[in-house]
Amino acid sequence: MAPSAKSALVLCVDVGFSMSNSGPGQEPPFEQAKKVIQKFVKRQVFAENKDELGLVLFGSDATKNNLAKDGQYQNIYVHRNLMIPDFGLLEEIQNDIHPGGQQGDWLDALVVCMDLLQNETLGKKYDRLNIAVLTDLDSPVSPDQLDIITGNLKRAGITLQFFLPFPMDTDEAGGGDVGGSGPPHGGKGLSREQQQGLDLVKQVMMSLDEEDGLDEVQTFSDAIEKLSVFKHVEKRPMAWPCTLTIGSCLTIKIVGYKAVCEERPRKSWSVVDAQTHQKEDVKRDVVYCVDDDEETEVPKDDTIQGFRYGSDIVPFSKVDQEQMKYKTDGKSFAVLGFAKQSLVINRHHFMGNQILKVFAPKDDEHAGVALSALIRALDELKMVAVVRYVYARNGNPQVGAAFPCIKEKYECLMYVQLPFMEDLRQYTFPSLENNKKYTPSENQLSVVDSLIDSMMLVEENEDGEKKDLFKVNHIPNPQYQRLFQCLHHRALNPSAPLPPVEPWLITALQRPQAVAARSRAPLENMKKLFPLKEVVKKKELKTKQLFRKGKVYRTAVWKQGGLQNNCLETGMSTEQLFGNRDVYRTAVWKQGCLQNSCLETGREGLQNSCLETGRFTEQLFGNREVY
Amino acid sequence: MAEWNAYYQNEEEDLDGEEGEESGVDYKTTGRDSLVFLVDASKEMFIKEESGELTPFDMTMQCVRSVYTSKIISSDKDLVALVFYGTEQSKNPRNSFKHVYVYHDLDTPGAGRVQDVDGLRGEDGAKVAAKTMGSGKTNLGEALWCCSNLYSDIKLRLSHKRLMIFTCRDSPHEGDSERDRQARTKAGDLKETGVVIDLMHLMKPGGFDVSIFFCDVVSPPEDDAELGLQMEPCVKLEDLKKRVRAKEMKKRSIARLNLCLGEGMNVAVGVYITALQARKPNPIKLFKDNNEPVRTKTRLYHTQTGSLLLPSDTKRAQVYASKQIVMEKDEVDVIKKFSDPGLELIGFKPMERLKLHHHLRSPVFIYPEEEMVTGSACMFTALLKRCSERNVFALCKYTRIRNSPPRFLALVPQREELDEGQAQIAAPGFHGIFLPYADDIRTLDTPQLPTASDSQVDKMKEIVQKLRFKYRCDAFENPVLQKHFRNLEALALDLMAPEEIEDHTMPKIEMMDERLGSLAQEFKDLVYPADYNPEGKTANKRKPAGGAEKKPKVDISEDELRGHVQKNTLHKLTVPILKDACKQFGVKVTGTKKQELIDALTRYFQKTV
Repeated sequence: MAPSAKSALVLCVDVGFSMSNSGPGQEPPFEQAKKVIQKFVKRQVFAENKDELGLVLFGSDATKNNLAKDGQYQNIYVHRNLMIPDFGLLEEIQNDIHPGGQQGDWLDALVVCMDLLQNETLGKKYDRLNIAVLTDLDSPVSPDQLDIITGNLKRAGITLQFFLPFPMDTDEAGGGDVGGSGPPHGGKGLSREQQQGLDLVKQVMMSLDEEDGLDEVQTFSDAIEKLSVFKHVEKRPMAWPCTLTIGSCLTIKIVGYKAVCEERPRKSWSVVDAQTHQKEDVKRDVVYCVDDDEETEVPKDDTIQGFRYGSDIVPFSKVDQEQMKYKTDGKSFAVLGFAKQSLVINRHHFMGNQILKVFAPKDDEHAGVALSALIRALDELKMVAVVRYVYARNGNPQVGAAFPCIKEKYECLMYVQLPFMEDLRQYTFPSLENNKKYTPSENQLSVVDSLIDSMMLVEENEDGEKKDLFKVNHIPNPQYQRLFQCLHHRALNPSAPLPPVEPWLITALQRPQAVAARSRAPLENMKKLFPLKEVVKKKELKTKQLFRKGKVYRTAVWKQGGLQNNCLETGMSTEQLFGNRDVYRTAVWKQGCLQNSCLETGREGLQNSCLETGRFTEQLFGNREVY
Repeated sequence: MAEWNAYYQNEEEDLDGEEGEESGVDYKTTGRDSLVFLVDASKEMFIKEESGELTPFDMTMQCVRSVYTSKIISSDKDLVALVFYGTEQSKNPRNSFKHVYVYHDLDTPGAGRVQDVDGLRGEDGAKVAAKTMGSGKTNLGEALWCCSNLYSDIKLRLSHKRLMIFTCRDSPHEGDSERDRQARTKAGDLKETGVVIDLMHLMKPGGFDVSIFFCDVVSPPEDDAELGLQMEPCVKLEDLKKRVRAKEMKKRSIARLNLCLGEGMNVAVGVYITALQARKPNPIKLFKDNNEPVRTKTRLYHTQTGSLLLPSDTKRAQVYASKQIVMEKDEVDVIKKFSDPGLELIGFKPMERLKLHHHLRSPVFIYPEEEMVTGSACMFTALLKRCSERNVFALCKYTRIRNSPPRFLALVPQREELDEGQAQIAAPGFHGIFLPYADDIRTLDTPQLPTASDSQVDKMKEIVQKLRFKYRCDAFENPVLQKHFRNLEALALDLMAPEEIEDHTMPKIEMMDERLGSLAQEFKDLVYPADYNPEGKTANKRKPAGGAEKKPKVDISEDELRGHVQKNTLHKLTVPILKDACKQFGVKVTGTKKQELIDALTRYFQKTV
């Protein structure tokens, strides 16, 4: 595989005194800039890629850089050379970076950043060099070397980004209401320096990239919003080269890629000792013992492997198993035949955990044409290829469908696994529509219609363009957003409790506000027309919940006798609890009771009694035999 | 101390997160399923009807066998019994019932039982049956009583009790009202104890009339709107198997939740799994001296003090940028929580918005639970009807259990469909399709390649048409599973060799070639130039495997390493170098992944600084 790409980036942050100025009730630009870099660095830290980061401050009281001499390049402070960002940097940003009392020339700072990038990347390979400048532009600059600077940037292939406290199209009259990020100095519009600076920025950006250069100038608030989302590191898609075969003589070279697949976090939790936090202090030990009264331990070497065959247990050594098992001779993408799409397209029969996209190899035109013929033929006939798919030698074979997929920019086959006979459960459910009791009236149906109308998420605007208000495939997986939020919080505040879920994430997972508002009236009507009544006899549910309540169910361990006592104390007869299944089902007790009784004995007690009797709640409740 | 094992295994499951999701079964319904085959052994059962290929008895035995083997594969804890009635000989636990022959007691099926049933198949089987059991007087009442004893002798908790009567006689007692009455009473007793009685009636010359007798014996149908009995008797083995299969499996919901349409509008629904990848069961460890299963105990102990660690003595940790972040186990669980379990309606979308590639795992099936919230079924039906008629799906947020993070489901309506025999081929309800998040969709570099011309496409169309077949979702057996169980069967029964399996996943090359004839060559001539070899190993730009591949061993000095650790640039080194470094400094590594190597080295050097 190709070496993974990395880039180098220098954050060039204005800490000059003007950055601390703000209108009443407004956040000073300095604080906003700090948030931007914090969020950015946080993202880089958790992404764990190899991108390197430097941090240069200007407008600082101190001066530290390679170019500073003879009063030149003053008040520019190289805080950090190119390095992979870590928590240290995050802490430094949080604690050590303060607004300075000077003014810095941002063009000078840019030169320092270029110098830093060029020196530190010398002799190494990077596929992207970038400087991000965060400033309010409110300081005098000497633009005489502008051409030389842009020339150098171009030559070195360094890209530039600007982050400003105000949008670029703010004019002197004061666009105080644009984008909510009002101009500094109490809404009096841009200062002369800022105006001049903005012109310079435009000049620089246009000279670097005439067309899209200005897209790289953003406001602080935009950047904060975008950076709030933790981006999963893009995995380089793994190519799966194979040949598609039709019969014995027709073959087409193909390459498959995973296109859709549940992304999981790369790291898992390891178990550490509660005191030392050392993973090495905890050891997992596995022993085997015979199922006799003494629970005699037997060495691992004295055990063999077996399988259940119904009531029989069949000893079946690994060697035998290996020798006798079903074998496949290698990867395969063999067409078994072609079938009508309408017969296969039963969405609910899609199996497996991935969608594979199949292309011809990049540099093989002939395979491209052959595959294209197949894709187009299938598309026109509304058919699919049913194929046998084997990932690798001795991999389990699958039967799946390869659908034709023709897009504007490319064509491919889309492969999805189909079920084996053993995978299907043919449940029958009582009829709904043919049951008079459940048949909805015309009135009821029409109110359902109005609900559907009011809650349509795809709308058409005046231009006939369709707009989707809720695209799941644009939402980042909330589980990981939350995980990284908590990890970050805990990393910087080891003893503080975890923070609440970020508001933007909660909003992203909810019914869009417009839809919620529109649906209010139809929902009220539905309430009137469809009487819903919770059945009071929901006791069993409570019991169920109780047992599922992690703690009590999983970790509480106590003597059966002990439980009986506790139950008697709380006014429960054991009979009711365990006596017989049917009574048990109807037995109701408050969740509190059991928990209290657990609390009474105390955790320690529970654990002790567990050691004494070695009896598990799990077993008590999970295992039917006990009843 | 014996139970630590169970304890920690649970935790492991937890770490795996959603793996357990699929096996989660409604608490109330856990327990073993049981099924009794009550088979008529009268002479009529051994008579082949003109149109039939098999005798009713033979058909029944094949059916029993297929249930046995499928139970072994899919639910080997379920109990099955095989009882014959109308026999000459009698054999039952207390031998108190005449003309009832308990062939297999209520127990889990095993290899021996499969072999027994095999012995009753075909003409030879009929002879065996005649010899061991014979055909005699029929007393269904006695037979049902005997079966009820089978159930009551079981000490295990049974969750679902079913009894299937296989017969081709609609009037088993030939009008003897006393025996009829007795049978009805006994059937009533059985039903009272929760046994569901089904009739699998087989063809009979002149037609099988359920109303004469059996309508009073069998259980009323699940829902009272349905006509109840499937009036047509089974003629074909396939039909019988299908009918038995549909009844034999108990529906289990993995969750019962509220589908929330809006504030205070909760429809109760059950979540079911109708398709799930069947996997080879895990091996179990046996003690080699007696082939008895051994118990595995896993425990955690402190490396230094050697003392056992309780769960409260441990925490969870992850390392990022060489910093360890520690959380309590509870915290790790609770950060997965976003909302209480349930389905929350977000809105509706036209069906075409559900793309083919919106697929992450096999879907779930949603059906109303009227017993939890009355009115649910009606509202659900209205929703189902209108969604289906308007061709829209409902988008929902799905939280399965307390600490499970949300997923979005496209609820696709499916209306009930019946076949000619009034058997349900599609159940009414919504299929919940799991939708991918942004992270789940990968961006691919799509190659820019020329497209095919019309004549090339037309030629391929001919090929496609030649190789058309009618796809059926149950046409393919999993060869890996089948092979595994045949192997076990062979070992269990001491067979010389396992029964051969037919691998339907293999392309029928010869037949395909024959059907294609010259088409394949014609197509190749159209798309491939003469000097092109489409089978050639994809000799991509990978360099020819030469001896130069082997890189010289690089040693790295401690100072260099320390420098890398400090600058956080260890990842610049290659895995072999890192591995060597680990060896060199005696650093223990738990895995072989690069990050693990880096973590281990970093920890080592940070400690030694």
